[in-house]
Amino acid sequence: MEELSMNPLEIPCDNFLDARGLTCPIPLLKAKQEIAQMHSGEILELWGTDPKTKNELSVYCKRNNTEFLGYIDTEDGYTKYYIKITWVKN
Amino acid sequence: MQKQPGFLRQELGRGYNLIFQETWPAWISGIFLAILALILFLWWHTWGVAGGFSNWGQWIYYLLGIDESAPQKGPLLQGMSVSNIGLLVGAFVSALISKQFALQRAPRLEYLKGIVGGALMGIGAALAAGCNVGGFYSALGMLDLGGVMMMLGLFAGAYLGLQYLLWEMENLEQGGAGGESSPKKGGFDWKRAGPYIGGLFFLLILLAFQTYSWLGYTKMGGVLFIGFLIGMVMHRGRFCFANAFREPFMTGDSSMMRGVIISLIIYGFGAAAMKWSFVQPPGAGVYHPFWLGSLGGGLIFGFGMLLAGGCASGSIWRAGEGHLKLWLAVLGFFLLNYPTSRFLDQSGIKEYLGKGIFIPAILTWQGGLVLFILFLLGLFILLRWNEYTEKFVAF
Repeated sequence: MEELSMNPLEIPCDNFLDARGLTCPIPLLKAKQEIAQMHSGEILELWGTDPKTKNELSVYCKRNNTEFLGYIDTEDGYTKYYIKITWVKN
Repeated sequence: MQKQPGFLRQELGRGYNLIFQETWPAWISGIFLAILALILFLWWHTWGVAGGFSNWGQWIYYLLGIDESAPQKGPLLQGMSVSNIGLLVGAFVSALISKQFALQRAPRLEYLKGIVGGALMGIGAALAAGCNVGGFYSALGMLDLGGVMMMLGLFAGAYLGLQYLLWEMENLEQGGAGGESSPKKGGFDWKRAGPYIGGLFFLLILLAFQTYSWLGYTKMGGVLFIGFLIGMVMHRGRFCFANAFREPFMTGDSSMMRGVIISLIIYGFGAAAMKWSFVQPPGAGVYHPFWLGSLGGGLIFGFGMLLAGGCASGSIWRAGEGHLKLWLAVLGFFLLNYPTSRFLDQSGIKEYLGKGIFIPAILTWQGGLVLFILFLLGLFILLRWNEYTEKFVAF
């Protein structure tokens, strides 16, 4: 559960997922599917409104050697998450 | 001397953050949950949720003129209903204090899943004579064999529910993802005011406890207050049985289920101490239909909770956090739970579902407790093994 320490505008995102309004477990399921199609070094930006996602995403990333760059709460009531793919596909 | 106020302030601030801002680890919540469930058992009765929903459903059908006779007790005097109300308010207060309360809207399909999932949970809970709390958590804690069966059913139902969600993601349009949460751009900053409003509701709960006491219902006042604390603990740890049963199949992570197991070990031991010493009757809470009712009910309930995105207790605390989808899940639950129970009763099907079996009655107290612990430890190790190997992970 790390808050983002860098300026989100400076993060070069390769993929984007809008999971606003979707509740647990759909945001994580979608993220997992998306991540599986991405390549090492790419960054996924995910938008969500379920508070649970904060915990789940960081736990998921830790378990899967994927870097959770952090999240930022927007003024519009949703959260932006940034995930960097670091694993190498078989 | 100058350092004292600074130190105190710092410590209080740290404690406040730790308790009210940060999410508790699942096992910490599990320990507190077991303690509260035991206090509730000592004070009143075993903890359950579905019984309260059934009471609400009964009232709705009576008020609509569909059911002829009024329920024996009103929602403010029926124990499980009162603890449900406490749970809802507790989660609401916790969400306000941690600034996580927000009315969360969802795409249309999600609302449908909420109500259908809730309805399936209502049917499953009727079959199993209890939900994830009464039929599984409390049943196992009370050393009722039906709890083991419901657990197997819940795992199977969660697996099937996950398969459905995967299918849905591939095949159905999910409403364009992005029902927005409540607009907070009014002049008033609700998030900032949250802790104060939460504090106010806490005082209201204390006042309600006192009012019950004045009216001669101290026990019910206590049930409300313990339910309130349960709601807070569940929300603080985001304690979610749906997560516990789903995650081993979805990502392999079992931290929530391990929290449930730790909780059950404490709950089971505490309940055994109270029963063995006859502080409470040994047969208390032992009525879950082993094996067909618990297994089948667990299966349907497990599938439903994956659709709804929360179990019975989870739906309440997430409703308290502001998720409209989970309000619908609660509605679906209590609209279907009562008629299903009644149908099972009247049709005679209930007799075929099974009956409560008290583990120590077959294996003695010593043998029963040893087996209970070995079973839970075995499950713990199996889940850890799955975390490393991901053997049960569905995709």
